[in-house]
Amino acid sequence: MKQLFRGFVVSLSALILTFCSTSPDATTSLVVRIRWASDPDNLDPLVVSNSSASEVANLTYCSLLKASEADNDFVPWLAEAMPIVQWADDSLLLVSYRLRPEATWDNGSPVLARDVAFTLKVMNCPGLPTEMDQAMFGFIRDIRLDPTDARRFTLVCVGQSPDHVRSSGDFSILPEYVLDPEGQLRSIALPALRQTSRPVPAVVVAFARRYQALELNKHPERLPGCGPYRISDWQKGRYLTLARKTRWWADTLSSPPPVLQAFPDQLTYQIIPDAATATLALRRGEIDLYSLMPAAEFVRLQQSAADQQRLRFSATDSYEFLAASFDVRKSILRDALTRRALSQLFDVAALVQATQQGAAVPSVGLISPRVKAYYHDSLPLLRFDPTTAVSLLQQAGWQRRGAGPWTRPNAQGQPEQLRLDLSYRTGEPAYETAARQFSAAARAVGVAVNLRPTEQSVLSRQLRAGATDMSIRTFSGNPFSYDFTPLLHSRGIGASNNTGFSLPASDELIDRIATTDDPARKARLLRQFQLLLHQERPFTVLYFLRYRLAAAARLRVPVTGLKPGYEAARIRVEVPQL
Amino acid sequence: MRPQHAKRPFSIRRLLAGGWLLLLAGAAVLAPSETIIPDLAHVSQPPFGVGHWLGTDPQGLDIWQALLQGTRTLALVSVPATLLTLLIGAGLGSAAGFLRNSGWQPTWRSLLTGLLVGLAALAQGPRLTPASGGLLVVTVGSWLLLGRFGFSRRRVALPVDTLVLGLMSLLESVPLLILVLAAAAVQRPSLGGLVLLLSLSCWTTPARLMRAVTLQVSAQPYLEAARAAGIPAARLLAAHIWPNTRHILLVRFPLTVALLIGLETTLSFLGVGLPPEVSSWGQLLATIRLAPTAWWLVAWPGLALVSTILSLHTLGRTK
Repeated sequence: MKQLFRGFVVSLSALILTFCSTSPDATTSLVVRIRWASDPDNLDPLVVSNSSASEVANLTYCSLLKASEADNDFVPWLAEAMPIVQWADDSLLLVSYRLRPEATWDNGSPVLARDVAFTLKVMNCPGLPTEMDQAMFGFIRDIRLDPTDARRFTLVCVGQSPDHVRSSGDFSILPEYVLDPEGQLRSIALPALRQTSRPVPAVVVAFARRYQALELNKHPERLPGCGPYRISDWQKGRYLTLARKTRWWADTLSSPPPVLQAFPDQLTYQIIPDAATATLALRRGEIDLYSLMPAAEFVRLQQSAADQQRLRFSATDSYEFLAASFDVRKSILRDALTRRALSQLFDVAALVQATQQGAAVPSVGLISPRVKAYYHDSLPLLRFDPTTAVSLLQQAGWQRRGAGPWTRPNAQGQPEQLRLDLSYRTGEPAYETAARQFSAAARAVGVAVNLRPTEQSVLSRQLRAGATDMSIRTFSGNPFSYDFTPLLHSRGIGASNNTGFSLPASDELIDRIATTDDPARKARLLRQFQLLLHQERPFTVLYFLRYRLAAAARLRVPVTGLKPGYEAARIRVEVPQL
Repeated sequence: MRPQHAKRPFSIRRLLAGGWLLLLAGAAVLAPSETIIPDLAHVSQPPFGVGHWLGTDPQGLDIWQALLQGTRTLALVSVPATLLTLLIGAGLGSAAGFLRNSGWQPTWRSLLTGLLVGLAALAQGPRLTPASGGLLVVTVGSWLLLGRFGFSRRRVALPVDTLVLGLMSLLESVPLLILVLAAAAVQRPSLGGLVLLLSLSCWTTPARLMRAVTLQVSAQPYLEAARAAGIPAARLLAAHIWPNTRHILLVRFPLTVALLIGLETTLSFLGVGLPPEVSSWGQLLATIRLAPTAWWLVAWPGLALVSTILSLHTLGRTK
């Protein structure tokens, strides 16, 4: 009996000790569950096609520089310091970086200049989906490695814009040791890869085949980056989990800068497309953070005593705008007059009041009114005016008999009807309301509109394929860089220029804006560009959004005006004030 | 002694039910046909306010006007879909009950021609128009080609009953809502498409009933006598079977309408039914997710829906 009792005591003690030893871990482990409206869809680092994918890329990979709203500029991330810039002759820019000596890959090997060179080669590799990278980073023509320092290199860029200096450091660095362990691409120079007229070397073809075989779009975990997190689980359309690396290279820094801080042990992104369901999940405590919350819900929760106790609310102005985008390649939308007529049917003031509780800023174009130096304040704001819309349609050659549809001859001389498909992401009240308001106003003047609420990934595919006439969606940017090449340049068509818009004049302006150093000249060019877009209307900016964010009260969430509105890696548990 | 209310052909309940349905019919006819302009200055406005006596939804749509337009949509979907459902059900059910497994003995030639034409029509799918000559070519071609073979003149007993029962079992093995949802999710249906989808998925119950009652009527001695007298099958069906079986369709009519209204509303509520620009009660109900505290978004369409389905069931039961 005594032995039995002793055994019981020993077991109980062991049990207590076990609980005692595990409890500190349980309390210090920080798991943050964040709502996403849409799945990343594709996590191949070469194809970052939506904001969810971009957020994952920023947590699993590092780039040389990173945009920081607090600093109002880009700041060094993987780079040791901001680059040294030299102007070579009239058209070249030499941007020299040195990588942080602490930076290492997951296998312990250092991140070196040859990894940057390798990344640039991948971004220009024939046979890989590099259209977007080439549109955004095509100005980087070559890389020169420093023979005396394995971490130092110089990027040779065309143009002499300060924007190119910042953009030159804004791509995720990929590990050569994973993708090309034998260093076969080292013998191929970057300019050689860019020459499309020459036959592709067998080594490059073999590399492209190996890269495609990895199926990174489905298995991103096969390509670990040097960021603080790794993808531990991904169920498409349901959730994605990022786990903090137990030994991340920046942990060795005594006082890491904000860009190198990563506090949560686990970030779980729950994909909840419907806004109301997401609010319910937040109130039930099933998620901890809900960004871009609809205004009405945000106000309602703020006024609820119970929610005030359990949630913390933040709001900030953003650089993201809601716009009605036209596919200018469609015959009915080929002329600016029709696009301007249709734009007159958006009642922006009423939409701001109804969907944003008045807390959004209408704009004449894609520059935020907050950026006073570059905003074209002489242009008139969009006014809801169906009469002008009818007049513009008539000027565009459309004719209407009685209450019938608007028609005009197309390029082949056949009559075509003004009938539009309007796509938008389903489950988002602001989009739905704008679409309905436009549809009702358009029908009132005889323009038939078919509303197409669509799931995000399907919508992205439709936009890329040019399968929709009009769409209502958001575009985001930052106040430090004004390179519109991916969005509106002819080089972006087929990649990220989904409107299909390009004119020689707009291409030239985009190039000049990107290569201009002088702020006064840049302001003048940006105003010209806004005027051109105001006349041509490849898309119509409705308003700049205000980011609204609700989070569990225990969390301290750094809020930012840059997408996604928060810094996930820097979320911490609120320490109670004694 | 029979209860007193059974003697009265028009009970209060039936009167109310009939009155409500008449009101709905009137609303469907009088509903405004122009698009409702959202009143963005009064979104989620409670009922009995100025200008919107039943309130507005979170997108500023007037609930009263949306209900009226929804009534018209309901009528345009549920009544044609019910007629088509009963037509398919009655046709297949009667054929199965009357012909059984040996009552129809076509030649191989006509059977195979029919099969080939059916396959061609399926392959042509939505491109099929009455003007297209493809089907005519297939019909004439296969008829002439099959005529060359000796076996084509032989007759074969077609197991109509087994085939129809098998088709019904197949359809009923999948829950109705899942079947309709899956089909609607593939491609958002138009008004006509929704009518077709609902009819093609809901015909099994009337078909089963028609088959059962046709079997019952077919076994009557006077029909045996008529068959023995050599009266053709078509005349037997038209003059002797259908007059004794059609009451089933009359009883099923309101119940089928109720079922289809429920299905259409569910589809619209889930966002896979009619396009957003077509008003429907289900869409109106679904707006509650945008404004969970706006009780009127559930109350009015919910009340209308419950009243309609109850009325139809009342009429269906007391027929």
